[in-house]
Amino acid sequence: MLKNYLMVALRNLLKHKLYSAINVTGLAVGLATCVLILLFVRNETSYDRFFTDNDRIYQVAFKAQLPGRQVDHFAASMLPLAAAMKEGLPEVEMTARVIQNSVVIKQGGESFSETARAVDPDFFRIFDFTFLRGDRMTALDDPNSIVLTESMARKYFKDQDALGQTLDIDGSAPAKVTGIIPDMPSNTHFDLEIIRPYAAVAQAMRGIETNWGAVCCETYVRLKPGVDGKALSDRMPAWFKTTAPTLNSPTGNVVLGEIFTPRLRNLKDIHTDPVMTSMRPATSYAEIITFAAVAALVLAIASINFMNLATARATQRAREVSVRKVVGASRSQIIMQFIGESLLLTVIGLVLSIALVELALPAYSAFLDKKLSFNLFTDPLLGPALLGLALVVGVAGGAYPAFFLSGFNPARVLKGASSGVGGGSGRLRMALVVVQFAISISLMVATSVVYGQLLYAQNKNLGFEKENTLVLRGFPRSVDQARQQTLVEALAKLDGVVAAAGSSSTPGDGSENNTNVRLPGANPDQMLVLRQGGVDWDFVKALGLQLVAGREFDRNRPADQLPPLADPAQVPAGDTAARTYAGAVMINEAAVKRLGFASNEDAIGKQFEVGADDDGTNKLTIIGVVADFHFRSVHDPIPPALFVINRDRFSDVLVRLKPGNVQKTLVEIERVWRDMFPNRPLNREFLDDRIQAQYVREAKTSQMFAAFSGLAILIACLGLFGLASFTAERRTKEIGLRKVLGASVMDIVRLLVWQFSKPVLVANLIAWPVAWYFMDQWLNGFSFRIDLNPLLFVSAGAVALLIAWATVGLHAARVAQAKPVTALRYE
Amino acid sequence: MLKLVDLVKAYRTEEVETTALNSVNIHVRDGEFVAIMGPSGCGKSSLLNIVGMLDTPSSGQYWFNGEEVSKYGERKLADIRKKNIGFIFQSFNLIDELTVFENVELALLYHDIPARERKERVKAALEKVNIGHRESHLPQQLSGGQQQRVAIARAVVAKPKMLLADEPTGNLDSANGDEVMRMLTELNAEGTTIVMVTHSMPHAQYATRIINLFDGQVVAENLRAA
Repeated sequence: MLKNYLMVALRNLLKHKLYSAINVTGLAVGLATCVLILLFVRNETSYDRFFTDNDRIYQVAFKAQLPGRQVDHFAASMLPLAAAMKEGLPEVEMTARVIQNSVVIKQGGESFSETARAVDPDFFRIFDFTFLRGDRMTALDDPNSIVLTESMARKYFKDQDALGQTLDIDGSAPAKVTGIIPDMPSNTHFDLEIIRPYAAVAQAMRGIETNWGAVCCETYVRLKPGVDGKALSDRMPAWFKTTAPTLNSPTGNVVLGEIFTPRLRNLKDIHTDPVMTSMRPATSYAEIITFAAVAALVLAIASINFMNLATARATQRAREVSVRKVVGASRSQIIMQFIGESLLLTVIGLVLSIALVELALPAYSAFLDKKLSFNLFTDPLLGPALLGLALVVGVAGGAYPAFFLSGFNPARVLKGASSGVGGGSGRLRMALVVVQFAISISLMVATSVVYGQLLYAQNKNLGFEKENTLVLRGFPRSVDQARQQTLVEALAKLDGVVAAAGSSSTPGDGSENNTNVRLPGANPDQMLVLRQGGVDWDFVKALGLQLVAGREFDRNRPADQLPPLADPAQVPAGDTAARTYAGAVMINEAAVKRLGFASNEDAIGKQFEVGADDDGTNKLTIIGVVADFHFRSVHDPIPPALFVINRDRFSDVLVRLKPGNVQKTLVEIERVWRDMFPNRPLNREFLDDRIQAQYVREAKTSQMFAAFSGLAILIACLGLFGLASFTAERRTKEIGLRKVLGASVMDIVRLLVWQFSKPVLVANLIAWPVAWYFMDQWLNGFSFRIDLNPLLFVSAGAVALLIAWATVGLHAARVAQAKPVTALRYE
Repeated sequence: MLKLVDLVKAYRTEEVETTALNSVNIHVRDGEFVAIMGPSGCGKSSLLNIVGMLDTPSSGQYWFNGEEVSKYGERKLADIRKKNIGFIFQSFNLIDELTVFENVELALLYHDIPARERKERVKAALEKVNIGHRESHLPQQLSGGQQQRVAIARAVVAKPKMLLADEPTGNLDSANGDEVMRMLTELNAEGTTIVMVTHSMPHAQYATRIINLFDGQVVAENLRAA
């Protein structure tokens, strides 16, 4: 029996080649799309599961609610937290902090800037990274040890065995390579290349080692076996409130427990819980679910093709079904036969889709920058999962046609050979076409909105000049201020340079420094937190900011600069006047509002106080207001900010170049740098590149979305083409008669095209409100967003209609051009 | 073999009710060869469909082998049909995708018969209708007469007690028509009960009894000498 079913199915496939090709192609593309999306989804949800103790490893994350600012979530914490947790929370077994720092490695006469991570000794006890060389448990015991990834080892030691070799890092004692680990896999939240013991940075961290206000490291904990991490996480805020001290500053007391709310994130959840300061970009669950939904929708479209074409062609199978019934087949046997056929078709589609996935995988993996594996032989889950997928699609697509076909009345069919079928299924087919196009149009709208928002973000006026602005990064803090000044001045003098200025942070670098501000006469409890930027004389020019009130800093007015701090030894205790420093400050428009001034002009000349580094007070006079500009992605709101001339905090130099002949200027900048810092490589990037880098992931997501939407539309059109060809075939006689009665080719084309325009038009009515609702929700997640333009919806509908016309029209034209006599001979 | 008592078949559309069979009483004994004649629309096919259990009557009784089957559901009818009845159609109704052999074998596939026995029976059936040499051909490669012989082989391969033939010669020339009738007579002689609908008086003459239908009613019955 099975052989008979299989034989009939195969012969049917071969006989109706167009139908088979459409179905198999649609299913293959649909399944391949689905598999590619699911590979992505699987990768995204598999992060960090390879660590043995992943169930009891947690990272401390914080919610920060700075007064007057929107809530921020970040994964960074304070240096004293780890020790306090180990001491105060008996559930904690081990802790490890991870601190990022830039280092310069000298090797073979060359210098390289690298990003290293300093970790606590327990780091490799908590995280069981594979050690290709060296001993994991003792690798970082020596303060001068260093662990490298394979790539780093190869970079510095080529083909030699790196273990036991030494590296010159920042000119300090040589670091000895004590371990080699594989490069980070794509499914870990860690971005590690060079790992050193905390001791290597202890000196640099001394100033903030006990500072509960400085958020600068990641803290990981491993809980004792059996501890309920969720319950401990719930207790963390109360514990933190009693543990973190209140920071007393001259401008007011900061109760950290009220600003920062800690929680524990399980290792497995880190990647799917996007917060600021992740080592690698995270993907939210919502995004993962969206992609999984797109996979399901694409498959639904392919299944609908199958359903539609199978029921449309039912007449061709009617006689077979009836004969089978007459010779004794029961309805359930016929149903099984057709579901079996559907499964066969799906399996053929699956085999093709596997080939498609294999073909697309290298490019897809490269595009996603992930190592996605798709190997049926080494992955025991893959085979059953694919078969399961085929089973679901086969049964879903085949069930309705099977019930429909098995319901034929053999008496009527066998008498007339073609009567007694068709009927109501035509309406259902059209309804299913409506569903397909509603999905396609919604995806088109979604893609356009996602792209629109991305373009908006990339091209929005950020409030500063991102073009031709160069950022020299990793400016050596250790260098004295005089040399910093000399460098900036030397750069500013170059012909191709408009302005140069040192800066404590630059837009897009993700770092942030906040300070508590007190207005004269304000209640000491009233906290006003502003973002603080240490800037240089020409920072307004160098960034191309717009001055909206007052004036810029003026190097001819020394009072614009904060005076040097008093030597504490020389100042008697309690002499607050001696530790009060007067200086000038510029603020942004958001700060004008936050500080409660009536207007930008009103702010000029006003004063407020900010804590100074020696526990004194800076009494600052507002000299200018700049228009708001974006520090972070345009998706985030602009915080109120103040800017003071403060070279202590410089980490970058901003150099605004004159347009044209940029290459020559770059060479000159390189020369100036080398003259001053011969042992330190120049680490430079253009500001617009950095800004664009913020959107790389979003751009990829948009492109992926666009590609999959395109495939969905392609599959829907394949189905429409099949249906149109079937309809044309079925209406051949009618078309012939119409032509005999005087219809032109155009009339016939119009007739057929209109028949298929209706479902597409109806699809718009479903797609538009659905897409509007979801995309509006999505856009609401951004502080700066585009408006939904009705024209976009109409355009998506029009594109769908045009595609449908093109698909059906070609077919219709061919049929309409046939000689009427051929048509009339039909049947 | 079968007995129809006051059998009525009415078709309803939204507004019109058409009575295809009106109080029909027919009794067919085992081994009979009955021809049903009548003009188009008189109810011949409706009658054959009910007799073949492809359709159910609106009212009345249908006794088959001593069993009242008119109220049976599709599953039960399919089972009785499978075991007892073979069909021959005017338009042959062979499955285009299957070879001659496979078309005939189809009638045995739903009978749980081992493959070896199926093969033997199919070959025997094909030999009986003289089409054995064409067993691997597809229906389109055969003439009308040859196709109908295959259809007859398919109808008899499961050894049904009764054969229903709906204008079996309607699509054939006279030579092929005569050949088909000769085969039916042979089958009848071997004991198979045959009920045949036909428009052709010469072919009706092969039957042992002719029933005339008009407007859904039996108007005449002529017993013929065998």
